[in-house]
Amino acid sequence: MITSPAPSQAAAARQWFLARGDLNSLIDALKESGRRVIGPTIRDGAIVYDEIASAGDLPAGWRDEQSAGHYRLDRRTDERLFGYTVGPTSWKRFVFPPNLTISTAHRSGQFGFDQPNPEPPQLAFLGVRACELAALAIEDRVFLGGQFQDEDFRARRSAAFIVAVQCTTSSGTCFCTSMGTGPEVHGGYDILLTEIDEGFVVQAGSPGGAAIVAALPARRPSHAESGAAVDMVEAVRARIGETLPIPGLAERLKLQLDNPRWAAVAERCVECGNCTMACPTCFCTAVVERSDMDGKLAATDRLWDSCFDSSFARVAGGDFRARPQDRYRQWLTHKFSTWVDQFGTMGCVGCGRCITWCPVHIDVREELMAIAPPVPPVERPVAVEPVAASPGSFSIARVAGVKAETEDTYTVSLSDMDPAFLRGRPGQFVMIALPAFPAVPISISRFRSNGIDLTIRAVGPTSTALTNLHPGSKGGVRGPLGTFWPIEDAYGRHAVVVAGGVGLSPLHGLVDALVANRDRFETVSLFYGTRTPEDRLFQDDLARWAASSAIDVAVTVDRAGPEWKGRVGVVTTLFDKIPWDCSKVTAFVVGPERMMQASVQGLISKGVPPDRIVISMERHMECGIGLCGHCQMAGRFVCKDGPVFRLNDLGEMFNREGI
Amino acid sequence: MDDYATVIAMLNHTWFGAELAPETQERLAKLGVVTGFESDEVVIHEGQPSEKMGILVSGRLALRTLVPGKGLVTIMSVEPGDIFGWSSVLPGMQAQSSVVATESCQALVIDGARLRAALREDHALAASVYPRVLEAVGRRLRATRLQLLDLFGR
Repeated sequence: MITSPAPSQAAAARQWFLARGDLNSLIDALKESGRRVIGPTIRDGAIVYDEIASAGDLPAGWRDEQSAGHYRLDRRTDERLFGYTVGPTSWKRFVFPPNLTISTAHRSGQFGFDQPNPEPPQLAFLGVRACELAALAIEDRVFLGGQFQDEDFRARRSAAFIVAVQCTTSSGTCFCTSMGTGPEVHGGYDILLTEIDEGFVVQAGSPGGAAIVAALPARRPSHAESGAAVDMVEAVRARIGETLPIPGLAERLKLQLDNPRWAAVAERCVECGNCTMACPTCFCTAVVERSDMDGKLAATDRLWDSCFDSSFARVAGGDFRARPQDRYRQWLTHKFSTWVDQFGTMGCVGCGRCITWCPVHIDVREELMAIAPPVPPVERPVAVEPVAASPGSFSIARVAGVKAETEDTYTVSLSDMDPAFLRGRPGQFVMIALPAFPAVPISISRFRSNGIDLTIRAVGPTSTALTNLHPGSKGGVRGPLGTFWPIEDAYGRHAVVVAGGVGLSPLHGLVDALVANRDRFETVSLFYGTRTPEDRLFQDDLARWAASSAIDVAVTVDRAGPEWKGRVGVVTTLFDKIPWDCSKVTAFVVGPERMMQASVQGLISKGVPPDRIVISMERHMECGIGLCGHCQMAGRFVCKDGPVFRLNDLGEMFNREGI
Repeated sequence: MDDYATVIAMLNHTWFGAELAPETQERLAKLGVVTGFESDEVVIHEGQPSEKMGILVSGRLALRTLVPGKGLVTIMSVEPGDIFGWSSVLPGMQAQSSVVATESCQALVIDGARLRAALREDHALAASVYPRVLEAVGRRLRATRLQLLDLFGR
């Protein structure tokens, strides 16, 4: 990669002041060094880069007004020479010509191919902006940074003498600040100019630059002049702001290949290729042949090409990117995502040319924000401090009602309880005790405005006693305890809840939360399996959810009598109906451990990432606060570290017998 | 006479038929008859000779078997895209269970004898259909194993 060496600390401190009227001395010195000077000049109503003879060719007193699909020149109120931003041409034209003969072939005499190897033109680039220096550095990576290198580019790039100019003005299309390429120039130049009111603050960035600067009729700048040079560039940074959030963009774009916006923008795009032609880094080319009439002499020309061209990806028998939306997606994802994979940097420098010169006003910044917007930082709630969190301590709650869910499972509604319980999170549990009955852990199945619901299967003395309580009875509760469902893990994804039997109880509150925040998820689904139709919990809620458009509910039973018209089959058969890309699924799974193992295997085989599978474990508990030791599972207390775990956190411990 | 293009469009909405070669889809479309079943209609009787295989296009079917002491038990349901009457690809088989429509259904039904004859003579058809039948049977086998594990056992 070719870059001018960064100025030494001493050189950086060595600034000069050159009066505006003396700029010709710099141009003359460049010409005397054997170089043609390429600089900004007005042609066809735009400021373009072309050969200049003197400072009189520069756009003195002109400014450019730019926005999407809009470019106009207007008079400035002063006579600044570099009081514009960037025009339609870029320096790419001079190091990577748009039309270059790369070989000739002949049949007369000895058959052969010849590669022209002309001396590169000795050019001095006057007025190179920070974003343009960044573009040249990107081209260095493309053409010289890999195994195979472009010698023509190397020769032209090596021969170029660079006079950079700090930006002291900006356009509405500039976003170098977002791309990290400007407005400040940091190295990569031979001479750096900063234009202030009376002239230029000058710095040399290479020995060649220092030699030329030494011969200029320059003096030391005053403190005020040096300060003005810094202030003007800082003001440009403030004016541009940071309009495009870049961190994470490359990764976000990779996840948006199916975004409908590609088709929408393709409806507007006329595929003129202006964006690629004006871009200072686009490097794709086509190779064309021409020959004389008798075919004895032929030449191969390399021409700038555009991935928007309808023939760009065509092969015999078809076109890999047949639709305009394919081509737009290719361009944008290459610039801002896959370029990073190839060259270690994005392919955009934020110069804004593709925006200004788009005839239908497509603004890449808008498209990127629509297609791959930054993901707002996820706020993860913190568990509320539990009540009665010591052995033997319980807070009193009153039973408001008891409702039978199945033959042996009941929902006990508690109220008149410490408000901390109402601030619990779906997935948490309480320890509940009655006089003469040991405390048992019960998941909170629902949060109500004045209490919580516990759905309890009567399998032991305490649970049986609890399900036999009457309204007005009292019990002792400790909680809310344990970890809760990381609902944020499913933001922007397909949220799939897999419940087996009474496992729907700790998931009920999660389903409520998913439905309440429905717009944060791609889709929300509940797959619920039970042994028989009679074993289904929350049948009213299932019917309500099924009738809702917010959630897709699928219920299956292992076996049924002829009166059951619904689905029959194990819960994993429901995964067959998943129509989505399973890499974008976050699954929440609860059921008996065998059911969870089968479900997890089924989900992983469908492509659900293991770190996006969340489960809730059940273990014997006597205290719920990590003191009794009963719920230990391979170094974890299920009561404190769980019961909700990401599958990855459990690793080999899940699906292992006897843990 | 069914409109073959319509039948092929139906096949394309089933996992069984979606990725078959066009000529195989056409062959199946010509072999089969699109048939509607009303809710509670018995499509296949358990224990009777297997004489038709179907690809369910819409609705739901129940596979039921008579369990002494329990009466008719639904052992699984057939969902759109899946097949029923798979045993008819083998000669001399009896239906393993009754197939009953639990709601209004539509299926592409193929006569068992015609299907077997076509599979014998058309190797391309056989090479496409047999693996899919095997996949359907394999799915049921896996599901049955999980049912035997009694995932919700107490």
